[in-house]
Amino acid sequence: MTVGGGPVVEEEKAEGFTIPPDVKQLGIIAGVISAVILIFPGLPAVIKAVGLILALVWGMDSVRKTSKYGLGTGVPSIGVLAMGYGIVGALVGIALVSKVVSKVGDSVLAPAAALGGVLLMGVVGLVSGVLSNHEKIIGMKIPKLEQGMTELGMAGTIAMLLQFSIVAGSLNFDVVLDKAISNGLIAVMFILSCMAMFHPYNACLGPDERRPRTMIVSVEVSGLLCVILGIVVAAVATTTWGVSGVVDGVLLVIFGAVVWLVCFVKFVRMCFEEAYSTVGTGMIKTIE
Amino acid sequence: MPIEIAMLFAWMLLIVFLALVACMFEDLESDVGSQSNPNSQVQLAPQVGQVHRFFNKAISGEAPAYALYCTVAGVIAWVLLSKGAHPIIAIPIGAVVGEAVHVIFSVTAHVGRTTAQKRFEQPIYLDVLYGHIMPIATHGFMATLCITAIAYIQSNLGTLSGNPGLDHPFALPMLAFIWGITVGAIGSSTGDIHYGTEREFQDRPFGEGKRVVYHGKITRYADCGVRTQKDIAAFCAKFGGPCTGLTFGVIILFENWRTLVGMQVARYLPNLEAAAGDSAAVIGIVVGLVIGVAMIVGNLVLVRWARKRYGTFVGE
Repeated sequence: MTVGGGPVVEEEKAEGFTIPPDVKQLGIIAGVISAVILIFPGLPAVIKAVGLILALVWGMDSVRKTSKYGLGTGVPSIGVLAMGYGIVGALVGIALVSKVVSKVGDSVLAPAAALGGVLLMGVVGLVSGVLSNHEKIIGMKIPKLEQGMTELGMAGTIAMLLQFSIVAGSLNFDVVLDKAISNGLIAVMFILSCMAMFHPYNACLGPDERRPRTMIVSVEVSGLLCVILGIVVAAVATTTWGVSGVVDGVLLVIFGAVVWLVCFVKFVRMCFEEAYSTVGTGMIKTIE
Repeated sequence: MPIEIAMLFAWMLLIVFLALVACMFEDLESDVGSQSNPNSQVQLAPQVGQVHRFFNKAISGEAPAYALYCTVAGVIAWVLLSKGAHPIIAIPIGAVVGEAVHVIFSVTAHVGRTTAQKRFEQPIYLDVLYGHIMPIATHGFMATLCITAIAYIQSNLGTLSGNPGLDHPFALPMLAFIWGITVGAIGSSTGDIHYGTEREFQDRPFGEGKRVVYHGKITRYADCGVRTQKDIAAFCAKFGGPCTGLTFGVIILFENWRTLVGMQVARYLPNLEAAAGDSAAVIGIVVGLVIGVAMIVGNLVLVRWARKRYGTFVGE
């Protein structure tokens, strides 16, 4: 178990590597782009993976926003909570898609019904945030908790739906159940997306945490997720070694591996440069 | 006794043995990487001025972390098995991939946390970083390998013992996920004898705690020289690790044993008649409750006896 580093002083330094969108812009940009990608399940897996990375980075930003006041052990819990929302919301979303398909037939716009699940989880997140923060109910008084929980619910749901879409190639309930849930793949999707959301802030926790550095870990973990999903897509997801499935999967593996490698190397170099000092070896400071 | 039932008991005992090995190595791995309760000390030490040479493997709680490695291993093994690979090949390859993920997460956690403590003058010691990666990976590999093997055996238990109706309804990756959470949770709560309980709390009558001013000190010096986690792993391998493995093994043993005894007494085996299923479940639950009560009573008696026999801690 881990313990936090106390209240964190907000200071965004201009030096070093920075990421242009600030906290507000990122939520809107990532949310819109990944939602648009989500409603076209026929897109190649690599494009869906871009949406997935954006959704996960957005989720990580919400975890950071919610935990920044000094949450220590709670950071992983918030990430797991987000993906818990995500699984419920995604199941609601694909159920809505099946409902629409059975009512009006299979149209191009049917997958847009999945956004119903996203909105529902936004509302659920908002309600749980209000309940936790309201003075008469739980009274946790965490700044911006309502907004953070809303965003977590939405980001988690979009991330889960995109992963269903990558592995099953569709948002139809029966197809997803067959290709992503009953064979247990949902477990790896759940835990790696959790990690992409909470591991960055958990790993960079401390008074000298910096947003761009934290963000790059999220992209790195998302790259790993893409590699695993790509292996699954290439091997089993589509109709028994369908050529398109193999190509799709292999491209996703290459994309994920490149993203992971670039971000991993960049993060470790940044840390070596920004740490108090990086030494080959040395004795610890003597204290009287 | 029909051969199917004997085989079922035999596979159950193999699962118990694998669980014992898995949880032992899991506990030792968390000692090398300081992931369970000692991590709070490792995190806190620089903030109270105690710069240290420990590996800060803050991935999350051990339970989600092991769920991650084991699920990745399970998915890779499952993919290879679905392509017709032999389990002897598929399970170790899965575990190697799971450990690769483990090492990647360990590195990001250690350098990230250390960099975020810049203002407390905690440097990144490269020999600490490189020197702990292999012990973490090897101990973790043993744990992940055993858990993936357990998940494989359990998802094919019926087929292996000659009665396919008894196969576990969950797929291999899902079982690996559940077992990963379990092994992490038990390794986190049991067996940290090095500073979680003994060293830190030994100046109180029965180990009730220590003043905050001493926090962090236990990460700095050992009985001889600067303390490192490799010494802690060696220290814990004598008692803490095996003890944790035993805890997990005994849990799995009693859990499976009561189910099988229920099935056997209710004559559910070997034909799996639905009518006998309910009484099998009831008998299994009753046996489980009896075991639980017996263990609670035994524990109370043991603690009372130990306190009376050895008395309070009297100091150096």
